[in-house]
Amino acid sequence: MAGWPESPRLIGTEIPRLDGLAKASGRAKYPSDMNPPGLLHGAMLWSPHAHAKIKSIDLTPAEKSPGVKAVVGVMKEGATVRYQGEVIAAVAAETEEKARDAVRAIKIEFEVLPHVVTEAQAMDPKSPEVFKGRGLANNTRKGNVQKNGDPEGGLEKADVKIEGHYSAPVITHVCLEPHGLTAKWDGPDKLTAWASTQAVQVTANELAGRFEIPATNVTVLTDVMGGGFGSKFGADLWGLLAAELSKKADGKPVKMFLDRAHEHLAAGNRPSAFAHVRLGATKDGKITGMIAETHGTGGASGGANFPLPYVYLVENRSRSHSDVFVNGGGARAMRAPGHPQGCIIMEAAMDDLADALGMDPLEFRLKNLGERDVVNQGGAPAPINRTKVYQDQVRIGAELIGWAKRKPRGTNGAGPIKKGYGMALHQWGGGGAPDKQVECMINPDGSVEVRSATQDIGTGARTILAIIAAEVLGLEVKEITSNIGNSTFKPGQASGGSTTTPSMSPPCYNAVLAARAELFEKIAPKLGAEPGDLSLAKGQVLVKGEAKMSWKDACRQLGMVPITTLGKFTPGLSANGVGGCQFAEVDVDVETGVVKVVKIVAVQDSGLIIDKMTWNSQVYGGIIGGLNYGLFEERVMDPTTGVMLNADMELYKLAGASDIPEIVVRAYETEEMKARGVIGIGEPPTIATAAAIGNAVTNAVGVRVPHWPMSPMNVLNALASNQGKA
Amino acid sequence: MTENDPKPKIGASRRDFLRGSSLAAATAVLTQQVQAEVAAEAANLQAADAKMLSGEVSLSLDVNGKAMTCTVEPRSTLLDTLRDRLDVTGPKRVCDRASCGACTTIVDGAPIYSCTTLAVSCSGKKIETLESFDTGERGVPHAFHQHDGLMCGYCTPGFVTACKAMLDTNPSPTLEEVRKGLDGNICRCGTYVGVLEAALAAAKAMKGA
Amino acid sequence: MKAFEYAAPATPELALQALDGKDSEALSGGTDLISRMKDYVTSPARVVYLKEIKALAGISGDASKDGLTIGAGTTLAALLAHKGLKDAYPALHQAASEVGTPQIKNMATIGGNLLQRPRCWYYRAGNGLLAMKDGKSLVRDGDNRYHAIFMTDGNALFVSPSSLAVPLVALGAKVTILGAKGERTIPVDQLYTVPKKDGDRELTIGADELLVKIVVPAAKGKNASYEARQKQAHDWPLVMASVHLEMDGDKVSDAKVVLYGVAPIPYRSEAAEAALRGKTVTMDSAAAAADAAVSGAKPLSRNAYKVPLTKTVVKRAVLAAVGNRYWEA
Repeated sequence: MAGWPESPRLIGTEIPRLDGLAKASGRAKYPSDMNPPGLLHGAMLWSPHAHAKIKSIDLTPAEKSPGVKAVVGVMKEGATVRYQGEVIAAVAAETEEKARDAVRAIKIEFEVLPHVVTEAQAMDPKSPEVFKGRGLANNTRKGNVQKNGDPEGGLEKADVKIEGHYSAPVITHVCLEPHGLTAKWDGPDKLTAWASTQAVQVTANELAGRFEIPATNVTVLTDVMGGGFGSKFGADLWGLLAAELSKKADGKPVKMFLDRAHEHLAAGNRPSAFAHVRLGATKDGKITGMIAETHGTGGASGGANFPLPYVYLVENRSRSHSDVFVNGGGARAMRAPGHPQGCIIMEAAMDDLADALGMDPLEFRLKNLGERDVVNQGGAPAPINRTKVYQDQVRIGAELIGWAKRKPRGTNGAGPIKKGYGMALHQWGGGGAPDKQVECMINPDGSVEVRSATQDIGTGARTILAIIAAEVLGLEVKEITSNIGNSTFKPGQASGGSTTTPSMSPPCYNAVLAARAELFEKIAPKLGAEPGDLSLAKGQVLVKGEAKMSWKDACRQLGMVPITTLGKFTPGLSANGVGGCQFAEVDVDVETGVVKVVKIVAVQDSGLIIDKMTWNSQVYGGIIGGLNYGLFEERVMDPTTGVMLNADMELYKLAGASDIPEIVVRAYETEEMKARGVIGIGEPPTIATAAAIGNAVTNAVGVRVPHWPMSPMNVLNALASNQGKA
Repeated sequence: MTENDPKPKIGASRRDFLRGSSLAAATAVLTQQVQAEVAAEAANLQAADAKMLSGEVSLSLDVNGKAMTCTVEPRSTLLDTLRDRLDVTGPKRVCDRASCGACTTIVDGAPIYSCTTLAVSCSGKKIETLESFDTGERGVPHAFHQHDGLMCGYCTPGFVTACKAMLDTNPSPTLEEVRKGLDGNICRCGTYVGVLEAALAAAKAMKGA
Repeated sequence: MKAFEYAAPATPELALQALDGKDSEALSGGTDLISRMKDYVTSPARVVYLKEIKALAGISGDASKDGLTIGAGTTLAALLAHKGLKDAYPALHQAASEVGTPQIKNMATIGGNLLQRPRCWYYRAGNGLLAMKDGKSLVRDGDNRYHAIFMTDGNALFVSPSSLAVPLVALGAKVTILGAKGERTIPVDQLYTVPKKDGDRELTIGADELLVKIVVPAAKGKNASYEARQKQAHDWPLVMASVHLEMDGDKVSDAKVVLYGVAPIPYRSEAAEAALRGKTVTMDSAAAAADAAVSGAKPLSRNAYKVPLTKTVVKRAVLAAVGNRYWEA
């Protein structure tokens, strides 16, 4: 099988995304923008309580409400709701205003039950057990202790030990386009849905399954969509409800998208992480042992585990993790699930131990990487040793941030503004799925289309496919039509886990190579040449390097029949397993606790980069996501009323333009890395940022700020508790 | 509810009193020009009883230079009216509470949040959405495209609109001014680096540099 | 949002006529009221839109001489664009420039800023201003990180939301209110009161009254504001201080120190004022005033951090008034 081109013309350069102008001029139509004729607007009744039994429910007033065309009940009398935001019923009406009125007209009585909404509340032995029948104690599922070597003995051997309690809160995805879809029946067994999804085919299959219609009769369309971050992999209950309401309303299209509060409550979150860590090392900085007890909540559905230890080699270790169940919306995959939590906990402990050792935390980290950390084992080309990659990356990053200017913890001058530096390492798997396909069509008019049932969630997937086709065919990127976001196309990758580009690039490349070969076969005789003599460049067909015919004329030779090829995955074009490091420089005002991030440096490998422009954007975006986690984000639950107190975009805080520091991104793009082929980039760069910021803040202020985010409250509380001790 | 339903407790004499007092109160505040306008309005007061709108009302709006008519309720926001009734879907609904800027629309030259603006209050005003912007090389959309100031693109209409409005009043902003000018918008994908570059590039391009 | 009837009167008297009745709400910029209506916290039967009333907008007077008269309908953008505001009233200018976003400054009016309702998340979740349930305060037992640290013996634990009221109180500004019985003029601080029981309002202005204008007297000395907030972009101040120092030579002859984010009203710190009187403004005297400012603070379970924060903003506002911005060095 052919490898990637050795001296590419387009691959690896900065190419603006194909749909960028449509998006930037308001012309791109998102699923939530669709207004098909006869459109009805959906709205949902969701539980205002964290835990309650439905004593009675009467949908009739909603049915009689003005403008209402359909009402569907989800929960009946006697049912129990387990979190604020759990869906109870849905309506479709002529206008959104009327749909919301109808929801409020539903007569419902609750018997409010005791709830637990925070980790502490759930684990308190005095609190009620709210998830009976799941085998929990104190609303907690204790995991097994994972033990390796002799952790207690390792700690005893340590010259220096630290013990720390660290935590990071639940955060939510805050996709800007809410979850939802617009559904429309074209006859009794044919359904079209415009869905804001990361997986058109999963969504289509769920819809087909729910209504027991042939999968071939369902079309899910996602031309563009407004962000998913791991939370939009299916039709979801609200998508099924839209289709059900549409069916009830004689097939009239129904648009059902969540409101902002409901997004926070029911559409996923990153679980919290709490850790009690004991870590020890010899005086020359070799870790001897680690004992960690951790817990976190993924809401009513669990799933709050995270990797620990993380990145570093800890041979003597013990880890026990408990999932805490609360009356809150369930966790969903969120950009690098688990890793940012593991990174925060591990890197905070690493920094604290380095400080206790009186050692540069950078040196301490390098001393504790495994000698060999082999990734892509068994894959082609050769596996790599990630430890060597880290060593290089850390050297580059340290130079770019000016690590030499860093002072030991708490020695940052007399003024109120303290400068601090911090760092963290991360890793991610990624890699391609081997079962996806791409079609390529070369039409007699010279137009070229690649198509597959993947979708572009903002990463640039559409543009990636066009770049590959243009590279092979000697055309410009804008001459390629990249047709994705349609569930009826050949199987395409769901956009998650940094797998889209490595899954889709190989079949795309193979499809276009096959189409080119077929074209060469057809036109070579007309040029009096062998197919092997032909090549393509700058819109020309070349024979032995000499331009002989324009691309369009060559395609015209096809007559009436386009070339259609199907590309499949072949090994060797993509790989998995990446590492990266990030550094943060912060200014902390110790009189206000306000943290300003001055600069972030990210050094990241991800194999062969297809589009440097969208690659950079992904890394910037990952960092800014991590900055939000480090400085601002926190889901605040009220223990008494059981509701989320900041289900908005004001007190749920996210960075604006003035919060963005200088960001320096450096691709670790050696020949060895490029030879690995394509690897995804969505998740890795968001992992280490919050950890690096927390460590920089701690370096600046002189005491560990153990609770994320680095808010004035958490920083001032850390300073105050330290004064209390002194 | 009937329109022009007079409130029972208000009598003619009190209204006369109010007329005098409010003008007196206003006099201290106003420039001469506005005073003249107020006086003119006062002269027309007999006919100018506050008209009550309720239920479904027909509304004509000047959107991107076109007169558009639809039926709304007084509670319909400008954003929902544009998106649901007029199929002007550039502005997006994200926070729906005047926090995130995705709905930014220019009304009488000033960028505002259309999610917390009532459509009926926009009658007679000039409403501009980004669909009306120049998509050529001197326009803000082009700069956002070329500098990848977008990813999923859902916040982008708001950023582009806020950026255009900022550059209309400050054609040569510093980076710091660009930040302040765009602080009313939130991006979740984290495209700010491209956004800031795009805004500075658009400033240059708009001047033909 | 519930349906309502809507009027957009062109004159103050028509507005008063439309507002007459218990279930009306006046609408200006809308960033507060429309959001509250969407959340069904406030559901008026009638909304009276005030922005068509030209008589309510505009600024007159000379800030450097006899003060300014600011129409209640003046947008924050127009206020900030007023020449002379920054020189004469840096305390007001600073606070106004930190409110909201460019879009909010175009929409919001100074009157609306003064009369916006508290941002307390228990109030906004529909629990009422005092957020009492079964005789107990949700705030006291709950997440009160953004709540009061003064006057916390009572049940009004929210913080007054207007960051412009704070410099206006410090500057001795007055507001003129028009109502059925005519016109009255009161100091800005008298716009606010501490609700004692469910159903009490925190505003003294009646629902059927109209805030017409704000009169800011000529500044008698130096003034400044300093606010601390988590985000640099759009965010609410955690706490803020405005000071107004009358000087006798290099000594403070009289002082006003007013705090945001610490009490259900714009909170005058008479202790800080007393600590400043007769003193030269130095790092030490500012720090002493800051210590005095928090002397009676009784924080709640989660907001003790506001005590050192309040000290800092008082110290910095006092020093900023005399041009010492030591934290920027």
